[in-house]
Formats: sequence, C-alpha cells, structure tokens
Amino acid sequence: MRKNRVPALLGLILVLSLGAVSAFAETKTTTIRVEGMKCNHCSGSVAKALKATAGVEKVEVSSEKGEAVIQYDDQIVTEAKLREVINGTGFKAVEEKSASN
Amino acid sequence: MFRSIVLGVLFITLPGIATGQGNRAPALELKDLRGRTLRLSDYKGKVVLLNFWATWCPPCGAEMPDLIRMQRAYRRKGLRVIGVTYPPQEISEVSQFVRKLGVNYPVALGAKETKLLFDETETLPLTVVIDREGNIRDRIEGILLPEEFEQKIKPLLK
Repeated sequence: MRKNRVPALLGLILVLSLGAVSAFAETKTTTIRVEGMKCNHCSGSVAKALKATAGVEKVEVSSEKGEAVIQYDDQIVTEAKLREVINGTGFKAVEEKSASN
Repeated sequence: MFRSIVLGVLFITLPGIATGQGNRAPALELKDLRGRTLRLSDYKGKVVLLNFWATWCPPCGAEMPDLIRMQRAYRRKGLRVIGVTYPPQEISEVSQFVRKLGVNYPVALGAKETKLLFDETETLPLTVVIDREGNIRDRIEGILLPEEFEQKIKPLLK
C-alpha cells in the first residue's frame, strides 16, 4: 500500500514544482533605444533578427522613434541578449528607457 | 465569366512576372568595381546569391562577414555570391568598404532600376536566391539568417 503511494507522491511533487516554475516565468516588455536607425528600408532587419530569437514573443520597431519595443519571456532570453541581437544587425542598442512586467 | 477568370489570373501573375519572381532571373549585365562586365548568364550551373546592399545601410555591412564565410565554405559546392550596390554611392567609398571587410566575391555597381528587376520594395539588404537553372527561388528581405541559409539555400547546393 505504501509502495503505491510513492509514485503518486512523486507525481504531486512534479506537478507542484512545474507550477512553481511557470509562476516565476514572466512576459516582460522592454523598450530599447536603437541608435543610427534612420534608414527606413533597412530597419526591418532589427525586427527580423529579434523575432528569430528564442523567447521573443512580440516586436515593434519604429525607425521614426528610433526604438524597439519587445515582449519576451525572461526565463528564455535576457535583455542583455536582446541588445546583443540588435547590435548584431549593425545598429547600436543604447540605454534602457523602461522595463515593465 | 471567362473574361473575369482570365483577368483575375493576369492580375495575380503579372506582378510576379514583372519582378522576375518565381521564374527565370532576368538578364543582368553590370560593371564591377574595376570596370569589368559582370553577366548573370555567366553563372548558369551555379547557385547564385544576388545580394543588394549599400554602404549607408548598417545591416548590409553586418551581414557581409556571414556572406564571406558562406562563399568560402560552399564555393566548391557551386555557391556564388554577387554583391550589387544600391545608390546613392561613391565608387571610392564602395571599394574602401569592400577592401576593409575582405569581401571575397564580386561586387557590381547597381542602380535603383537594377533592384526593381527583382523586387518592388526598397528593403535593404535583399538577397535573391537563383538556382542552377537560372530560376529565382527566393527573395530574402533583411539580414540573411543562418536558419534561412539552412532551409532555403543549402538544399539547392546538393
């Protein structure tokens, strides 16, 4: 009888721990200022590279405002990585304007 | 009814024909940085990446090291990258840019009209993928991502 309870207990622990992990996972939104993004025809590469990054859920890039608004899962990707991706497109990610949950 | 169907078909297919999309690549004859003639028809039998770029376009410069690596790694399998510039441009500036990055593929001087032969938008960079038979297989807008190379170009090199 006691032996039968072990798998059930393990299952319960697994379910609870998964719940705890998902409770910590948050979708964050950040606005990153992108320097040098004056060219309308080439700013699409920033959105493309960000959208191809694991953990990124939504991207809006404005060459007029010179910024990228990004929704991302902070369990999968960090803001530092997002800046790295932007820098990889030839533009420069500068200071953080805001960050919210 | 029949006329509507014909007009509908033409409406759908004509833009594609005009831009050379989904069919044979148009004849292209340009001058390279040394004034030599570069003809697209000379590349038949090769998989060509026609990369439209500009010195003033940051993503264009950012993707060039990848194009250099692709050209080096897949040349033996028949890959040929051709850079085509987009105005405004100064030849001296283009030459300096290409030399600084160590570009290992030909670069030709293009005009707005050159790009219009392949694409109606002004997006840069733009890479047109042409197969060994001279057919346009894809147009990749923005930086060419590694996964796009794997999915859209590598299969053509087999």
